[in-house]
Amino acid sequence: MAIKDLGSFQQTLGKADAKGWSRSVDNDMGGNFDIKAPGLEGGTEGAKSFGEFLSDSIGKVNSLQQEANISMEKLASGESQNLHETLLAVEKADIAFRTMNQVRTKVIDAYREIMKMQI
Amino acid sequence: MDVNDKTLKALTTALNFREMRQELISSNVANANTPGFKAKKLDFEEALARALDVDGQMQMNAADGRHHNVGNGGFNNLEPEIYDDPNGVVSENGNTVDVEAEMAKMAENKLMYDTLVQLINKKMGIMKYAINSEK
Amino acid sequence: MDLLSSLRISSSGLAAQRKRMEAHSSNIANAQTTRTAEGGPYRRKEVVFGSEPARDTFSEILEGELAENAQTVHATEVVHSDKVVYKHDPSHPDANSEGYVAMPDINPMVEMANMIEAQRAYESNVTAINTTKQMAMKTLEIGRGN
Repeated sequence: MAIKDLGSFQQTLGKADAKGWSRSVDNDMGGNFDIKAPGLEGGTEGAKSFGEFLSDSIGKVNSLQQEANISMEKLASGESQNLHETLLAVEKADIAFRTMNQVRTKVIDAYREIMKMQI
Repeated sequence: MDVNDKTLKALTTALNFREMRQELISSNVANANTPGFKAKKLDFEEALARALDVDGQMQMNAADGRHHNVGNGGFNNLEPEIYDDPNGVVSENGNTVDVEAEMAKMAENKLMYDTLVQLINKKMGIMKYAINSEK
Repeated sequence: MDLLSSLRISSSGLAAQRKRMEAHSSNIANAQTTRTAEGGPYRRKEVVFGSEPARDTFSEILEGELAENAQTVHATEVVHSDKVVYKHDPSHPDANSEGYVAMPDINPMVEMANMIEAQRAYESNVTAINTTKQMAMKTLEIGRGN
């Protein structure tokens, strides 16, 4: 990861921290979750910020869960006889959720790691 | 996702009804030679589908005493329908049990039962995973 | 508990079919019996099945939704047939004055057919028991291994 990106990442995480910390970073504005992906600052169509990306992904995980729930309910009431489809939908939702959880863990770990850095 | 969610209730309700169905099928099989015995069927799918109202398709019929069950997950007072099997072939002693058909029904019921248990486990597993990952 | 009740029902089926087997195998074994303790030839046996509600106590019937729909089966009576066929065999020790022997009215084919049917019915009840048992074991898996 380039130093420039690391710096902006720190700004990003710093903004996310409790306000009492690092006012200097806060003053150095520009740090927020809407930092565009590197190389796409030109605002090309389709560029997503990290914040948007995160909320999109959470939305996708949620809708996968909803689909799985609906599939299970249909199976329980006999409306659908598709065992394999239901199990697949459940498995997809399962994996998506666990992945999201892992991403969350990794983001928090990275945040803590950066906080540990002596500046 | 919480422990009381609608899907989990649907799964456990289906599990209960399938247990009842197994008892009824066992009764049919045991009485396959009893003179005058009428084979019985148990239906719960319609009642459950109504309570779930998955697609929002069910019309609320105010005249129906059970309409309050539509869609809001009112699972506590679901009643199964138990009636004489209309497809029974009457043998000369009045018995209407078709053992082979009952065996097929039993196999299907067991398969669905196993699937429901597995789905319940998956849901519980995900919840426990989410709880355990707070580190 | 419905699954335990299912076991009771299926085992009643096993018992009933076994009595049926006993009756018909006894018939086959005694197809030629002309002397019995009560005098006269062997009388063909047949079992009659009857069913009754599986729930024993009144409270169980009230609570259970299956109520009287699930029934256990019993071999309620053993019927003895009084039919007798007369075979002409003057040399038989039990021949009467005209040389006819009173033999039990037993057709081995019929008895065999009944025994095969009883065996198949027995097996179907065994399958039912196994399925019920597997369902109960599966229920124990809820929450295991998470």
